Amino acid sequence: MAGGLIHQVLRRKLQSQSAVQALSCFTSRKANDDAGSAGMRTVALLGAGATGLLGFATVASADEAEHGLGVPNYPWPHQGILSSYDHASIRRGHQVYQQVCASCHSMSLISYRDLVGVAYTEEETKAMAAEIEVVDGPNDEGEMFTRPGKLSDRFPQPYSNEQAARFANGGAYPPDLSLITKARHNGQNYVFALLTGYRDPPAGVTIREGLHYNPYFPGGAIAMPKMLIDGAVEYEDGTPATEAQMGKDVVTFLSWAAEPEMEERKLMGFKWIFVLSLALLQAGYYRRLRWSVLKSRKLVLDVVN
Amino acid sequence: MAGALYTPPLKLTLTLRGRDLVLLSFLKLGDLQLSFLLNGCKPKCVKQLRSYEACIKRIQGDESGHKHCTGQYFDYWSCVDKCVAPSLFLKLK
Repeated sequence: MAGGLIHQVLRRKLQSQSAVQALSCFTSRKANDDAGSAGMRTVALLGAGATGLLGFATVASADEAEHGLGVPNYPWPHQGILSSYDHASIRRGHQVYQQVCASCHSMSLISYRDLVGVAYTEEETKAMAAEIEVVDGPNDEGEMFTRPGKLSDRFPQPYSNEQAARFANGGAYPPDLSLITKARHNGQNYVFALLTGYRDPPAGVTIREGLHYNPYFPGGAIAMPKMLIDGAVEYEDGTPATEAQMGKDVVTFLSWAAEPEMEERKLMGFKWIFVLSLALLQAGYYRRLRWSVLKSRKLVLDVVN
Repeated sequence: MAGALYTPPLKLTLTLRGRDLVLLSFLKLGDLQLSFLLNGCKPKCVKQLRSYEACIKRIQGDESGHKHCTGQYFDYWSCVDKCVAPSLFLKLK
């Protein structure tokens, strides 16, 4: 009896919309006839309380700005099942990274040699690497020394450690960009939208001094100022360096940096999915061939009375 | 602050009237998307824009600082983004 009533109360709790009405008619129905009507009322009150809590849980989360504005899907030239990167775009994007982003953002997982055959020739890359100074050593005298960079060196870091980076950027750490398009949800579209999405905040929203409004950034207040400004970079190949062009190129470069194996992976994937599909057809045929004996059996049930 | 900021060497000048100025209030000139917005996408997102403007009017006298139009702003920009995104890359190299 009590178990059945509790079961009814629990079932009603799960229906958040009609729960309150159900409980009220439940109380009015039971309260009058039972000797333990006071007990029924407390059970009903507990049910109402739990329903109230559950009702709160289904209310929409506080602020849309919390998650950032939804990012649109851009038609990346390398997004098809057999599409490769636009390597001219990777080359331009590396130029944008070097001239605009590298002063604050490290890419410590990429070496100069990774660029060879992708965006630059070996001679060009060697020349680029030789422009930087790298700390090496210890030498035979036990001293650390500096030398010009080589192909095997990683991209230079703008700050020696995280604390220095935070100190130079008002407490905010400019993240390493080696894997950024994989490290953010819908990374390629997100980074492009973020870089090109600096706008005035909506009415009623104020951003404190030192931060900037960007609707795509969770919370809306980002420490990085707008960096992609028309004409900021002069492309070697003469492409007009508009904000959107630089954004596309730098995101292509970052996509390559995060997924350099993409082209080989797509080729391999296409080849092996094709081979395995043929193997599936063969396996299916062979299975049915072997099972045909059993599946075409006739079983006779001979009941002896 | 680390990181160099480049000033654009050239600015686009456009003659705009009335409602176009509302759009400009949150756009920077010279943006490639600007031409898309003003020509192609503005007519498609008028409903959201009007809704945003109505919200601005509603909260104009607010002293508490808690009222804001983020929702309508997001609706408007979501509409514009969806409209601009498929065709933006066709204009780029």
